[in-house]
Amino acid sequence: MKNKVLAAGLAGAVLASLSTGCGGGNTGSAGGSTGTSGSGAQEISVCLASEPGTLDPALNSSVDGATLCAHLFSGLAKWETDDSGKLSIVPDLATDLPEGVENADGTVTYTYTLRDGVKWSDGKDVTANDFVFAWNRAASPDLAADYCYMMEVIKGYEDMWATDANGNLTSPDAKLAVTAKDDKTIEVTINNYISYWNELLAFPSYYPVREDVVSNESWATDPSTYISNGAYKMTSWEHNSVITLSKNENYVDSADVTMDTINFYLSDDANNMLTNFENGSWQLIDDVPTNEMANLKAKYPDEYQVKGQIGTYYVCWNINQDLLPASSTLTGADKIKAESEIRRAFSLIIDRNYIVENVAQGGQVPASSFVAMGLTDADGTEFYKNAGTSSDYDGYYNVSPDSYQSNWNEAIEILKKYYTFDEATQKFTDIPSMTYLYNTNEGHKAVGENIQGIFAGIGANMAMENQEWATFLETRKNGDFTVARNGWLADYNDPISFLDMWTTNSGNNDVQYGKGDNADVAAFSIDCTDVGVDLKVENGTWAQTYDALLSKIKTTTDPTTRYALMHKAEDMLMETGCITPVYYYTDIYMINKNVSGFFSNPLGYKYFMYCTVS
Amino acid sequence: MNTKTLMYIVKRLILAILTIWLVITVTFFVMHAVPGGPFVGEKAVTESVRKAMEAKYGLDKPLFEQYLTYLSEVVTKLDFGPSLKQRGRNVLDIIADGMKTSAMIGIIAAIIALVIGVILGSVAALRRNRIIDRVIMVITTAFVSMPSFIMGTLLLTVFAVRLNLLPANGASKNGLILPIITLSLYPMAYITRLTRSSMLDVLGQDYIRTARAKGVSRAKIIFGHALKNSLIPVITYFGPMLAYIVTGSLVVEQIFAVPGIGRAFVNSITGRDYPLVMGTTIVLAVLIVVMNLVGDILYKIVDPRITLE
Repeated sequence: MKNKVLAAGLAGAVLASLSTGCGGGNTGSAGGSTGTSGSGAQEISVCLASEPGTLDPALNSSVDGATLCAHLFSGLAKWETDDSGKLSIVPDLATDLPEGVENADGTVTYTYTLRDGVKWSDGKDVTANDFVFAWNRAASPDLAADYCYMMEVIKGYEDMWATDANGNLTSPDAKLAVTAKDDKTIEVTINNYISYWNELLAFPSYYPVREDVVSNESWATDPSTYISNGAYKMTSWEHNSVITLSKNENYVDSADVTMDTINFYLSDDANNMLTNFENGSWQLIDDVPTNEMANLKAKYPDEYQVKGQIGTYYVCWNINQDLLPASSTLTGADKIKAESEIRRAFSLIIDRNYIVENVAQGGQVPASSFVAMGLTDADGTEFYKNAGTSSDYDGYYNVSPDSYQSNWNEAIEILKKYYTFDEATQKFTDIPSMTYLYNTNEGHKAVGENIQGIFAGIGANMAMENQEWATFLETRKNGDFTVARNGWLADYNDPISFLDMWTTNSGNNDVQYGKGDNADVAAFSIDCTDVGVDLKVENGTWAQTYDALLSKIKTTTDPTTRYALMHKAEDMLMETGCITPVYYYTDIYMINKNVSGFFSNPLGYKYFMYCTVS
Repeated sequence: MNTKTLMYIVKRLILAILTIWLVITVTFFVMHAVPGGPFVGEKAVTESVRKAMEAKYGLDKPLFEQYLTYLSEVVTKLDFGPSLKQRGRNVLDIIADGMKTSAMIGIIAAIIALVIGVILGSVAALRRNRIIDRVIMVITTAFVSMPSFIMGTLLLTVFAVRLNLLPANGASKNGLILPIITLSLYPMAYITRLTRSSMLDVLGQDYIRTARAKGVSRAKIIFGHALKNSLIPVITYFGPMLAYIVTGSLVVEQIFAVPGIGRAFVNSITGRDYPLVMGTTIVLAVLIVVMNLVGDILYKIVDPRITLE
């Protein structure tokens, strides 16, 4: 009898729990409710990625987190599209974006006035002091934000981070040169003129936050303490599940916001995203399974979107790894020069068009330079089109499909200078074995295998080694590799974001320029006198040449000269052959065709505030 | 409860504490020995930022000192520290959030598995070698041998894509139905087979024959004697199974995007979020140790002939 009671009790519990599980949901549709509800309110459900690490705009360093911040916060400037769909930076909380005034010491001072009626989501006024506080906070060693360097253009940043020989901060009370002249006027001085200053003003690190709000360290994890000033306020955050934003009635331009509610579902599983997109639960997904790309493109021609993104997928070579055959007697600068040529030859035989069309399949563009497509030059044209010395093609290689054979022939001729070529097999016999390092991912593996196959065709034996993400990053950073996959996405539209990562002490200098054995090799030359800059070094070390050049770029105020110097910096990088660009990244996403008013920017941020779902 | 049993439980508790201490120690040092760290990313932070962060979270101290500090914080204050990746959140909050969902779907799945498994197993045993027994055995064999990622994907394709009846993500309550079913199928099939063989064994015992000879009704034999005794192996299996379902649903949580502890655990490892790795490991270890202990004690309660020492 006892058993019967137990069994009945258990069965009852199951039924009860199942009925709880089924309760509350809408029965007709499988997913979250979307589109217009009975009251005419607009709602959209999207999925960009998994749980963001933080939604504190100063601490955020992810693209999906930046998208959320762009909906929740409003800075002095913002990204917007005009009627023709052209993207530009326009004033947001500032009345306008005035030109800066150059000071005698070369620094530039900007003065901004806040618009009337700008408020926080709790109804309090946004003041100039909120910006002063937020910018100092974002730059501070106390916060130690990943993106604190976004503030390094502002005068005073260097003082904030200055350290003594023991690594201790020397001026802990230092502040940025930004002041509130009154409640509505902000004055900021930057080190020198930069073309992307207005773009920085639209970057999440530059959004205001309020001192009393962020004094609670957990403020950004809970909707009840999350006070923002943008188009939306956070109404709920079910961790690892969904973040819901609702229109902020206190937002100064709330009349222009057409989407009332946005549900940001949190998942990083591309297959799961696709399932939810196909059954109509989610209207936008920011990732698709790589092996489904070709099918999806054909099946959903209107929904499958490929947009430009300023970034480059490339292969990097460790400058300190030997590439010459054992019999070679070259040393020092001669060795560096020979290996530079060899790496360039290997770069020439990579079939970028094949990789883009048959391996990556995401509408990527074959890359002929490291500084990505989409970044502009001093005259407003594409920077990469002016790169390199050839007038026949853009960049440093001819990546048109027709030129592949001539590239191949050129490469073979170069390699013949250093290795033994067996005419019978058409292969080299003494190229040292290499290992291609990549992080565990089907897409990276496929690209690596394609390169491996091509190299094998000329007798170069390259093994494949995959590592888990964090291990891979450390191995590559420490220079424990010969060849490794790599990729870089810019934070703003200026080539410097691709160039200053290769200075000797940069944390992103995976190639190991100027480090280890390479530190003392005087094999590099630079001459900037032709553009009126006093820097000419012949046969110097990396620190004497490239690092010095980057310092010049950072202090050069004339845009034409500055861009000319940046081209020289890229020339130096490409001359070493250590960076083999493969393709320019694209941003691939799927959007339901009933959604209108959507746009995204080249940094990959997506904007839903002006969307409508029909 | 006699002294012997009490002694046994005390002994087991001490062993459990030792086990958990060992898990903490090994995990702590292995975790720090693994390459990579919490502050590495595709875009490296500057050296000064990394140093500032390490100082902020005490990662600049010698490893053994970090270990002692951690141990004392956990033992004396039950403080698992802040997450290094989800800034502003405490490890305990993250675990509680994940546990809420994982425990709910785990317990429901376990109950479903138990109820249906026992019923099907009993039916199969009582109808041995008949059609119904064969059908149950074929189906349970299939479920036992099918890995959860295939079963999950299959259910997802049929119910979320083709029929569009249920959501494909675990963000809503309806979205938890498919993961619960996926999680329950394997233990259900296992319990069915366990119950069947155990009941067949019991039904062949002398005391059942005696009861039958004495004219006891069939229902009383089954529910009064056979079922109770044939549940002993099921009960010993139930504890570890519950722990397995709650902790081992990593794959299922990934497939259905369920915001459970499994995902938090995996993400903490890939992100080298040290305090979260430690926190989730400790919680999962405690769960498994406790469930095993409970299973053993239940074993004793169900069958007084068993002595625990």
